[in-house]
Amino acid sequence: MATREAGKKMIMLKSPDGMEFEVEEAVAMESQTIRKMIEDDCADTAILIPNINSKILSRVIEYCNKHVPTTGATGAAASDTVAPAALAEDLKIWDAEFIKVNRATRFDLIQAASYLNIKGLLDLTSQTTIDTISDNSLEEIRSFLSTKNDYLPEEEQTIRRENQWAFQ
Amino acid sequence: MADASNQRATAHHHGLPDEIVIWEILVRLPPKSLLRCRAVCGAWRRATSARDFLLAHHAHQPALPIVSGYSYGGGYYDRDIITFDHRAADAQIQHVIQLDVERLCRLEASCDGLLLLSCNTPDASCLYIYNPATRQHATLPVLRDLFMVLGMYPHRPTGEYRILLMYKKENRLGPVVVREHDTCCIFTLGSIQPPRNIGRPPEAEQVCSRGGVALMFRGSLHWHLKQHGTESNMIVVFDTTTESFKQMHAPVALRHAKLFEMDGVLGMFDRNDVGSIINIWELQDYENQVWTFKCKIKLPVNEIMVLCRNINSYWHAVVIPGDGELLVLVQYAEWLLQLDMDGKLVASFHQREVTPTQLQLKQTLVPHTFFPDGYVVNAVPQI
Repeated sequence: MATREAGKKMIMLKSPDGMEFEVEEAVAMESQTIRKMIEDDCADTAILIPNINSKILSRVIEYCNKHVPTTGATGAAASDTVAPAALAEDLKIWDAEFIKVNRATRFDLIQAASYLNIKGLLDLTSQTTIDTISDNSLEEIRSFLSTKNDYLPEEEQTIRRENQWAFQ
Repeated sequence: MADASNQRATAHHHGLPDEIVIWEILVRLPPKSLLRCRAVCGAWRRATSARDFLLAHHAHQPALPIVSGYSYGGGYYDRDIITFDHRAADAQIQHVIQLDVERLCRLEASCDGLLLLSCNTPDASCLYIYNPATRQHATLPVLRDLFMVLGMYPHRPTGEYRILLMYKKENRLGPVVVREHDTCCIFTLGSIQPPRNIGRPPEAEQVCSRGGVALMFRGSLHWHLKQHGTESNMIVVFDTTTESFKQMHAPVALRHAKLFEMDGVLGMFDRNDVGSIINIWELQDYENQVWTFKCKIKLPVNEIMVLCRNINSYWHAVVIPGDGELLVLVQYAEWLLQLDMDGKLVASFHQREVTPTQLQLKQTLVPHTFFPDGYVVNAVPQI
C-alpha cells in the first residue's frame, strides 16, 4: 500500500470485497471516471469502485502508478536523466510483461479499464482480443468470447455472401 | 474473503458483457474484420450496423498517411492508393485500391474515409467519390475538365460533404472563355444541382496558383501559399461552416513549406533546397498567430545513400502525424524511408511509385446517401 508523502494528496479507493487502497491523487486521476468524481467534489473520503475486485483493482493501480506522468511520481521511471524515447521503450516492455495474464484476468482488466475510463490500459488490454478476432474463424471467435450463434444456417450464409470479400 | 470474491468474479466471466464487446472491442476492429464479425451473431450485426456505432468506429480508426503517386508527363497520378501503417512492430505499406492505369487517375482529396479521385476518359475527365472500406463509388456530375479541386470538407450545419472548386483558366482543349472564368464554386455530394457559384474571392485565385494540398484544421481548410519573389508570406483559410475565406500569417518566408496538424496544434515544415534538412514550426497560439520554431531534422544522407546503392535522386520528405507521433517520410530513388524526429532511420521499403503525400486515410463504414445502392463490398476494388 502506498505511504503518505509530504505534499502529495492521497485518495482512498475501496473495492467491493472490502480492501482499501491509498493512492496518490495524480495516480487515481489516470482514470477519467475518478478524475471526474474528484473534480466534481464527489470524493471526500473514500471512493468505492463497484464491480472491480481487489485483485483486479490492485493491478489497475499498478498500471496507473507506472503510467502516471513522471513529474512528482514515485515510480522508478521518474528521472530527468532518461531520454523520452528510452522511457517509452521501458514502458512498452513493462506493458508487455503486465499483459501476460490469463484470459479471465484480461477480460476483467478490460471491464475495469472501460468502467474507470483509462485509455492506455483499455488499448493495451483490448488489443490481444482485437488480434484474436481479426485472425480467427467465426467459430473460434464465438468460442473465445462465449458468444452464441443465433443465426439459422441459411441466414449465416446470406450474411457471409453480403460481406464476401471480408472472408477472403 | 477476497478469494471467494475472485472465484465468483471468474465464474461470471467466461466471456465479456455484450456492451463491452461491442463498444470497446468491435468498435476498434479494422473495417474488414468488423464486416466479417457481423456473421458471428445477430446481436453483433444489429449493433454494428447502427449509425452511432459506425461513427464511433470511424473515430477509432487510425489516420494513416497516404503514400502513393507517380509523376508522368508533367502531371502527378496514382496507379494505386497506398497507405503507410507504422504502428505495428514492422511498419507496413498497404494497398487500398487499384486504379485504371490507362485513365491517368489522381487522388484529389481525402476526407473522413472518403477519397475524391479524378480519372480521364477519352471524352472528358470525371470526378469520383470512393469509399475504400465499403468499396462504394459514385461518379460526380462535375466535369474535371472545367474545374480545379481546392478541397473537400464536411459542412457541419447540414451534415453534407462538399467540394470546393475553381473554374479553370484553361483545359486540355485550350483557354476557357466562359463567363465563369476565375469563379469559385461549391458542389454538394449527392446533389443533382450544378456547383453553386460563390463569387471571385482573391484568396481562391491564390490557392489555385500557389496553394498545395488543403489541410483540415479546426473546421477550416488551410493552404500555405508557395513563395514567388516578394509575394506576402500567407496561409489562406477557408471556414467550412460560413464558407468564406480569410488569411493568416506564416512564420517566416519559406519556399517549400507545407502544413500539418499534431495534437490540435497547427504545424509547418520546410526543407532546404536540396531537401536534406527539415525545419519545423508550431502555431502554439492560433488566435494570435504566434509561430515558434520547434526543431531541425537532418536526414541521414550518407546512410540513405548507402542503403539506396548511391543512386542519384532528389529528396522528397513529408512530416505527417501518425497515431500520436510525428512521422518523417522520405522518398529517395525507389525507396520509401521512415525516420523519427531525431532523423534516425526507422524503416525502409524498396518499392516504385510510393510517394509520401500530406493526405491521410481514416477508414469509415458510415453509410452515405450519395453512393447509389447500399454496400457493394464484393466488387473488385478498382475504378
